[in-house]
Amino acid sequence: MEFHWESTVFAIAAFLILYWLLNKYAFGPLFGIMEKRRQLVAEQMESAAKNREEAERLLEEQKQALQQVRQEAAEIIGQAKTTGAKQAEEILLQARNEANRLKEEALKDIETEKNKAVSALKAQVSGLSVLIASKIIEKQVDEKTQQELVDHYLKEVGTKS
Amino acid sequence: MHLFPVVEVAGLHIDISAFIAIFVSAVITFVIARLAVRNLSVDNPSKLQNFMEWVVEFVQSTIASTMPLHRVKPYVGLGLTLIMFIFVSNLLGLPFGIVTEAHHAIDWLGITEAILEEHGGHVELAWWKSPTADISVTAGLALVVFILVHFLGLKLNRKHYIKHYFQPYWFFFPLNLIETIAKPVTLALRLYANIFAGEVLIATILMLGVVGIPFLIVWQGFSIFVGAIQAFLFTILTMVYISQAAIHDEHENEH
Repeated sequence: MEFHWESTVFAIAAFLILYWLLNKYAFGPLFGIMEKRRQLVAEQMESAAKNREEAERLLEEQKQALQQVRQEAAEIIGQAKTTGAKQAEEILLQARNEANRLKEEALKDIETEKNKAVSALKAQVSGLSVLIASKIIEKQVDEKTQQELVDHYLKEVGTKS
Repeated sequence: MHLFPVVEVAGLHIDISAFIAIFVSAVITFVIARLAVRNLSVDNPSKLQNFMEWVVEFVQSTIASTMPLHRVKPYVGLGLTLIMFIFVSNLLGLPFGIVTEAHHAIDWLGITEAILEEHGGHVELAWWKSPTADISVTAGLALVVFILVHFLGLKLNRKHYIKHYFQPYWFFFPLNLIETIAKPVTLALRLYANIFAGEVLIATILMLGVVGIPFLIVWQGFSIFVGAIQAFLFTILTMVYISQAAIHDEHENEH
């Protein structure tokens, strides 16, 4: 085998051209894509970490909100219980008062009616006695007539009052 | 052994088989690379793209084993071109050969009467071979590496690059010079010898005829392995040389 420097030169030229072509048309784009993928993966990992943080934060918030709601609900129920009890007491008190008032009024009415009746009877009786006295004085009456008279007046009382 | 067709054009001796081999290897390498980067995709790469990315990562880690990680990037393209081109070149001569016989002097192919006489009346001309089975071609590759290494050494690391010729003492200069020259020479010879030996053995086994078929299968398989190893070696040695010349390691300052 002889050494041909022409082959050497051709090999060098071919290699350099191949290097240039590959870099321009093959490796350049390929490296670009690989770099892009690296960035993509990094980005996705970053966003995943961020999402997890966000989720944790939200969960914490939700927990707190739930706690708050529970507390509020308990407060509302307690309040409702106390107001209910108070209202019941009030109603009871009112009803008792009302009943007392009605009873007193009725008693008073009875009293006044009785007084009225008594005074009316008194007036009647006095009038009758005056009338009886004048009749006795006016004329002589026998036993029988007197009896008749008394009866007559008693009857009169019965119908008048 | 086979002769190779050499055409004399305007005083130049063109070894046609070497030229064809170099050209075909370069084209195949380029076509493979182009096919791999067709329809590039970030999230849905094709099989070939996956393979190519694996090669890229392999070369990257290979280079990273010789120099600091942040210096790797500019040499990845070079390493890829070297490993792919040399691997394709190493395999090119394996699957078949094209041989013609010449019984008469063919002056334009470099077959003179004298050469015919020497080979006993007829010669065999091999038109197809691995380009790397030709010392002229591997010398070209080694020369590219040699020039690149010393250019990078002078450009990026001038002070330490020049100083290293006189270390550990100034009178070591001749030794360092020999080492510097030996590097590309061994680079070229190692690659050439391995591939050429493989092809010689294939040619020898072919002479066995039918009996040689199992040997041929085994040897071809082994030749693929050797081709891959040699491509890898050439690449990593190139990177080692670049690293030695161009990248100054702070910790080795004291040596």
